[in-house]
Amino acid sequence: MMLSVKNLQAEVDGKEILKGLDLEVGAGEVHAIMGPNGSGKSTLAHVLAGRDGYEVTQGSASMDGTDLLELEPEERAALGLFLAFQYPVELPGVNNTHFLKEAYNAQRRGRGESELDSVSFLRLIREKMEMVSMKPELLKRPVNAGFSGGEKKRNEILQMALFEPKLAILDETDSGLDIDALRTVSDGVNALRSPARSIVVVTHYQRLLDYIEPDHVHVLAGGRIVRSGDKTLAKELERRGYGWLSEQGEAA
Amino acid sequence: MSVVEAAGTDLHRIVASGKWPAAAGKVPIEWLGAIRERGAALASNLPIPDRKLEAWRYTPIGFLTKALYQPVLEGPFDAVQVSDVDELFLDGTDNIRLVFVNGYLATALCSNIVHADGVELRSLGGSMGEPSDELRDKLDQVADKRHVFAALNSALMSDGALIHVSANVTEKRPIELLHISLGLEQPPMCHPRHLIVLESGASAEVIERYCAIGDGAYFNNALIEVSLGAGSRLRHVRSQEESAKAQHLSDLHVRLGTESRYALTSVALGSAWSRTDIRVKFAGEGAHAELDGLILARDRQLNDVHLSVHHDVPNCTSRETFKGILDGKGKLVFDGYIHVAQDAQKTDAVLANDNLMLSRSAEVDTKPQLEIYADDVKCSHGTTVGELDQDMLFYLRSRGIPLARARQMLCQGFAEEVFGRIVGTPLYDRIRRLLAARLYETE
Repeated sequence: MMLSVKNLQAEVDGKEILKGLDLEVGAGEVHAIMGPNGSGKSTLAHVLAGRDGYEVTQGSASMDGTDLLELEPEERAALGLFLAFQYPVELPGVNNTHFLKEAYNAQRRGRGESELDSVSFLRLIREKMEMVSMKPELLKRPVNAGFSGGEKKRNEILQMALFEPKLAILDETDSGLDIDALRTVSDGVNALRSPARSIVVVTHYQRLLDYIEPDHVHVLAGGRIVRSGDKTLAKELERRGYGWLSEQGEAA
Repeated sequence: MSVVEAAGTDLHRIVASGKWPAAAGKVPIEWLGAIRERGAALASNLPIPDRKLEAWRYTPIGFLTKALYQPVLEGPFDAVQVSDVDELFLDGTDNIRLVFVNGYLATALCSNIVHADGVELRSLGGSMGEPSDELRDKLDQVADKRHVFAALNSALMSDGALIHVSANVTEKRPIELLHISLGLEQPPMCHPRHLIVLESGASAEVIERYCAIGDGAYFNNALIEVSLGAGSRLRHVRSQEESAKAQHLSDLHVRLGTESRYALTSVALGSAWSRTDIRVKFAGEGAHAELDGLILARDRQLNDVHLSVHHDVPNCTSRETFKGILDGKGKLVFDGYIHVAQDAQKTDAVLANDNLMLSRSAEVDTKPQLEIYADDVKCSHGTTVGELDQDMLFYLRSRGIPLARARQMLCQGFAEEVFGRIVGTPLYDRIRRLLAARLYETE
């Protein structure tokens, strides 16, 4: 299994958010996790990426057989885990190219591989930029600083294209995007689909799934997966809303 | 019972001894005689700073009582070879480079000294030729208000650059004043002294650096005077990279003529103790000063910047941006004072001091002050103190960047507003690297 989450329970500031979550994602599969606000979708994404302040009280999470919960965030990244942020962080004074190169080479070092020199890196990043139709001048600016919502999301997908992760978690990647930006970002993600790469799309709305078609859809409510199905489940949710499922979740 | 002699340094006694530095060949520099005497008289009347003096309240000078600092009265230090110091040189520049070792010009270490038309480059010690009357007449005339150390510099100045750029002449190559200090068993007290005069419409760039060989103790007490004629432009970059045991004091006095432009980037990364006084005076209308600084105060390091900007005439603008980074038990003192005289209408001044605390044991004492006597001005000041942002750190780590390196990158990013002023120069690369190396040492 690329990602195997078993009975995961986690709390933030003493408040229990994930209450026994199970999820299995096979290699090359695209899974969508949908759910109402506050159901724990973002918490799941952050716990998997290793953010401080999220305390795992029970359960396990492993990637390709390696226990994720024992690792620092940077170690998870080197292992091939990538989180595309819902709100990409602005880093004033940190040049975007410099950041991308540092990150790329840090991951390579983390895997015991040799670093890429500046010239080869620039060639590589230009190639990846075309894939996500990103304006070249955004490479010269500080990371995400003054970027539009769409530019920030493109910068996330650019990183996904650059790092070529084994498992990518896209946290609400559609939020704040207009229809054109949504299409470009989705095209970028679809171009990165491969039998060796698994993708978990976390989203509130079904809209994104018109562009990135999932193999499996899960509904997260009250800190648990309350329903799983194929892409038709997403359509059903769009029609009926989350209400009927949350009630089931609470009752379960 | 043995008698232990007091080991401290008595500044007043040094002045009273009447021993002044001599130039090469041990000849006193005659034309400096009157200035030295004036400085000595002033120094003997000025108090030795202690906590009761407001301007020194957070900047104790205890180091003086703990060791006997010896004024360096003879030079040059010919023993120092290029191979001893070339790691301090900036790569790939055609800078006109003057090198001073313990306060004395070291001719063998200088490079690209070409005398261009309209640019007079001399040294106090006289080894670069006799200075013109324009330079002699200006020396010691720009510095006005002084503390005892500044007065002491006038009495004990050993050597330094005298730079005169004639009207409407542009010197394109940066003039680099590289100070290299070498600690000795009895810590030396060096008194470099520089004068930069730009006549009307002239333009130049000066890079002033303070570095060390080895990690010895010494005390640099420098004074720099800058006089800018009408419509002239000076870019002034300062980088204090002293040894970890050094004390560094520098007193910078700038006088701006009508419609002149002065841009200062002042970086303090080294020393155990440092204090920089920057005194800027607007003497002609329509002038503009841009003053930026980055101060690092690492564990047990005390670095102080006292800035005072005097808007004495109308229609001048100034921007002051000073940033501090504190770590361990570091102490940082920032005093930013802007004075707007009654006649100085339409003054526009913005002072900012932002501090990044990497440790809870560090201490920052920041005091921005505006004193405004005119009624039609635009002036503001702001101060912030903050920590590294957890969201930023997690973002970097989630991209595979280890914690220590992530912190370094965010500190470099914080400094970039100041460092960015000299982006693309070899000094930019050097100070960025030095800053990172001095914070969260990796590998």
